[in-house]
Amino acid sequence: MKRSVSNNRKHVININGRRDLVVEGGMSLFETLKREQIFLPSACGGRGKCGLCRLKVISGGGPSNQIEKSHLSAKESVEGVRLSCQVKVENDIRIEIPPELLSIREHTAICTRITDLTHDIKEFRLELNKNDEFKYVPGQYIQLRCPKYNGNEEVYRAYSISSNPMDRNAIELMIRLTPNGICTTWCFNYLKEGDIVQFEGPHGNFCLSDTDAPIVFVAGGSGMAPIKCMLHHMKNTGNNRKATFFFGLNLANELFAADLMKQFERDLPNFSFVPVIAQPENQSHWTGETGLVTEALKRNLKDASLHEAYLCGSPGMIDAAIITLTELGIPKGKIFYDRFA
Amino acid sequence: MTDSHKIKQPPDTQELDSILRSSKLVSGGFMGTDQRSYEKVIQSDAADIACTGKTITDIVARMRDISALAERGLGANVTINENIQASATDTRGKIPCPWQHPGLFKKTVTTVKRLNADTILHWSDLSIHLIEKHGFFQGYGSPFRLAPKELVQIIFPA
Ligand SMILES: Cc1cc2nc3c(=O)[nH]c(=O)nc-3n(C[C@H](O)[C@H](O)[C@H](O)COP(=O)(O)OP(=O)(O)OC[C@H]3O[C@@H](n4cnc5c(N)ncnc54)[C@H](O)[C@@H]3O)c2cc1C
Ligand code: FES
Ligand SMILES: [Zn+2]
Repeated sequence: MKRSVSNNRKHVININGRRDLVVEGGMSLFETLKREQIFLPSACGGRGKCGLCRLKVISGGGPSNQIEKSHLSAKESVEGVRLSCQVKVENDIRIEIPPELLSIREHTAICTRITDLTHDIKEFRLELNKNDEFKYVPGQYIQLRCPKYNGNEEVYRAYSISSNPMDRNAIELMIRLTPNGICTTWCFNYLKEGDIVQFEGPHGNFCLSDTDAPIVFVAGGSGMAPIKCMLHHMKNTGNNRKATFFFGLNLANELFAADLMKQFERDLPNFSFVPVIAQPENQSHWTGETGLVTEALKRNLKDASLHEAYLCGSPGMIDAAIITLTELGIPKGKIFYDRFA
Repeated sequence: MTDSHKIKQPPDTQELDSILRSSKLVSGGFMGTDQRSYEKVIQSDAADIACTGKTITDIVARMRDISALAERGLGANVTINENIQASATDTRGKIPCPWQHPGLFKKTVTTVKRLNADTILHWSDLSIHLIEKHGFFQGYGSPFRLAPKELVQIIFPA
């Protein structure tokens, strides 16, 4: 939706029947809510392309347009579901949004440290203002703002928090360079230590259950991020659940954070780290697990029916791991991963 | 009905051309340095495909097969046939189509390497969609442009 100039009229947006926002009209509901620090999911920045910015409009907001019709099912349309980026605020509107979205805030931080983890993964430490506490559940992610640069538009991209949740004034991210990627190219080639960055969050419901079930963690590459955060949390809370972390990599020289994982093995009595190298280089003298991470799962887990699994990685890895883990007896409902990843 | 309540249509030719040339959805846009209109690009590539004896349906089916095999490698190289190997990157996240199609496409990139030659091709799930639904192989200079004749020559066994 094209951004239009404010129509200078005030309108009321009622949220979940509980909160009234008095706003200036003229912009999309998505932009208006963002200005009021209410962040709806988006992968297209409000351009009507991704269909993620859904909410329920109870009244107001005008009729839905063709773009919305192409994204929404007939049932959703009847129920009042709309794409907030396509709804223009030009009258009073009553909306319903999931309450967890209301706790998402925008934060400003300084990028204080950038560390090379592999040739294409870097760790970024973002320190917040001392008074700005950032509370999140281990496993959640933030949306990092990538500003306009080199002809690219501003975009937001999701990154899992990898740091120790005890650290309330900072977060760390593990970011893998995507060739020709807008945000990762900025992170790798433009963002410098000392620069100010913005992000909003926390997002997502990928988090540890509070059961005693033994855990299988499966990740590849930068997918280690939320698992590392969960391991810090287990250590902080003295959680001694049995947990095995299968970490899939292509080459031995892509292995990172091995020392930290060894430390977790010492600190968490029932934790073990199993790196799995698909194609170890001859000169690496690799003696650990080889092949695909799914093959290592089969070799190491005979009956996993009482386990819970936590997965983070590419959609391909997640699909393959789900097939293997269900074959090994884990019910689908006990396999957790980020739905949008 | 007020002006702003007029039903918005899918992008018209001009709007689409400007989206395709902008960095709104992907870095550098889909047109690269190509000065032709996107319609000309589609027409010219359609003519090239006609010379290969393959159809868009054949090409897309083969690309999907290769991507599926590559994904099974979970990042490692997978041998597709005696001439090519393929791998899939582990980029998470999804990306929309610049035309007004609902749904999002995985950012996973399939890289195809021709053995005994320097040729490397790569495509994303969105590239496959753009070819299948829009006959669009992208403009010259786009990092994801696939020249139809070269594509056919590489992905189909000799
Ligand atoms: C919940 C969640 C958590 C995540 N956590 C992490 C994390 O911890 N670490 C991490 O590294 N990543 C993470 N990601 C991925 C991250 O959000 C980004 O998607 C990723 O970093 C790529 O962003 P980018 O802007 O660099 O690439 P983008 O510019 O968004 O996309 C690049 C991709 O778009 C496609 N593309 C680009 N140009 C074209 C073209 N011309 N034609 C066809 N296709 C094209 C290709 O697939 C290419 O790989 C996460 C994603 C999700 C959803
Ligand atoms: S933000 Fe992507 S469709 Fe609305
Ligand atoms: Zn399309």
